[in-house]
Amino acid sequence: MIDTENLTKKFGNLNPINKATGQKSVVTVNHLRKQYGTTVAVDDVSFSIAEGEIFGIIGPNGAGKTTAVECISGLRVPDSGSATVYDLNPRDDREELRKRVGVQLQESLLPPRIKVGEALELFASFYPRPLDPNDLLESLGIAQKRNAKFKQLSGGQKQRLSIALALIGNPKIAILDELTTGLDPEARRETWELIERIRDRGVTVILVTHYMDEAERLCDRLALINHGKVVALDTPAALAAREGGGARMQFVPSGPVDDKVLTALPGVTSVEHKGRRIVVVGSGDLTTQVLYALLNVGVHASDVQVENGSLEDAFVKLTQTDDNARKHEVGLQ
Amino acid sequence: MSAQASKASEHYSSNPFWELVKVEGKLALREPIGIIFGVGLPVFLLIIFGSIPAFRQTVPGTTLSTFEVYIPILMITVLIFIGLFGLPIPIARDREIGWLRRISTTPVSPTKILAAQVTINLVLAAISFAILTAGGVFFFGVKGPSEILGFALSIVLATIAMFSLGLLIAALAPSQGVAGGMAQGLLYPLLFFAGIYVPMQFLPGHLQTISNFTPVGAAVQALGSSMQGTFPSIIPLLVMAVYAVFFGFVAARYFRWE
Repeated sequence: MIDTENLTKKFGNLNPINKATGQKSVVTVNHLRKQYGTTVAVDDVSFSIAEGEIFGIIGPNGAGKTTAVECISGLRVPDSGSATVYDLNPRDDREELRKRVGVQLQESLLPPRIKVGEALELFASFYPRPLDPNDLLESLGIAQKRNAKFKQLSGGQKQRLSIALALIGNPKIAILDELTTGLDPEARRETWELIERIRDRGVTVILVTHYMDEAERLCDRLALINHGKVVALDTPAALAAREGGGARMQFVPSGPVDDKVLTALPGVTSVEHKGRRIVVVGSGDLTTQVLYALLNVGVHASDVQVENGSLEDAFVKLTQTDDNARKHEVGLQ
Repeated sequence: MSAQASKASEHYSSNPFWELVKVEGKLALREPIGIIFGVGLPVFLLIIFGSIPAFRQTVPGTTLSTFEVYIPILMITVLIFIGLFGLPIPIARDREIGWLRRISTTPVSPTKILAAQVTINLVLAAISFAILTAGGVFFFGVKGPSEILGFALSIVLATIAMFSLGLLIAALAPSQGVAGGMAQGLLYPLLFFAGIYVPMQFLPGHLQTISNFTPVGAAVQALGSSMQGTFPSIIPLLVMAVYAVFFGFVAARYFRWE
């Protein structure tokens, strides 16, 4: 049994409230730094994760995403800074932390001849209050593979089993690292639905990925990490809108429109004519503003198409800007 | 969900260590290379050697027949196969594929998986020793060891030394392949110095001296004197103890979980 009063004395308040959002923050990473030899894997990373959200960590290969989550899960000890989970220190409160955090590791296999059911029951024995292995297999759609050996499973089934192992201990937080790498499109979609179901059960999910469609579809908030530093931290929509080249609106006007009516609007960056169509690019609440401005000059818009800025573009822009700034810095030295 | 969890916890309140022993034991049975060589080969040789009439003649200068001289050698052969293959190969594999790392993300310490492997291989060794001793005594008329305490002490020390060697290989080898290579390289020298090809008694003195300072040669020597009714001299016991401590120390120093 956990003596909450004692824990509170020992570790401070177990349920810190994020002052900015009013939500409970369950993971707090503070100026985390980790170096392997002379290679700096994580330079300076800070963020906090609210209870019940799907928090994405995105970034190019080798940016330090995996090292950051390994510090959170207690697999690695940071050189400086801290990562705390429910105010537990991953190093000192090893066992308590591991009871609450389920981890799915990148490129971690099971012994080839272990059976699906055996692996789950083994892991269930590691936790004080595990889920029922059969129910879990059922809800992950691999119940029929209970007696299959690991080596006989398809890529998608292996990933599901890996997720099952991360969830069997009934964790409050699940860390999923490069979950859908190597899966076919259908298996990816199914895995995404699965992650949403996990969150619906109240589990906070930390998702490491380098797929922008995945991050866009699943994550409530994203941290973009490049060269071991957080370059951006926001919702996918906000990142896409702010950094992804803005929204792009096309329409066919019912009559002639003076470009000035549109260029004068705040946030509009360009106005172009393509045959009868007008293309307006900008940020903010573009559609409403443009339609309102048109109405004011007595013009109706038909065949309206709106594309929002893409997260993919935001990702490329942010990492390139950061890379260029670095080159410049190095050049100056 | 809480009802589900409590129902499950009633059912799965089993001890993580014994669950690991159970699962790793099943895996060993599904890939029985260690069992075939650790148990099968020595037993096979026991039957062959026991059936050779010439092996019943007493070896000059001892009270033992050639066949009886071979009993300790077969026991050490068991330990050679377990120490070189049965113990380190699964550990190296589990590390290489990330299974040890995976276990270390759970509340259970991955040292338990090592302990489980050691337990499984101890059981395997004990079964082999029992078959070799009982088979020799009941089917081939071998006189049991008359110095029981010395015999038991020698076999315990030999087991610790060879298991430490297994853990050392698991610690130093970066992959299952390298562990297998190291084991292959050590296999024939160790079998030779244990005396499986020709018992040391029949070889020139300087080879005997070298053999006495290997863990396997010292073990065979100590077991041999126990079978003749003399408590083993301190030197072979010390040799085994020193190897056990040295291998164990280096293994602990260099072992990596990933």
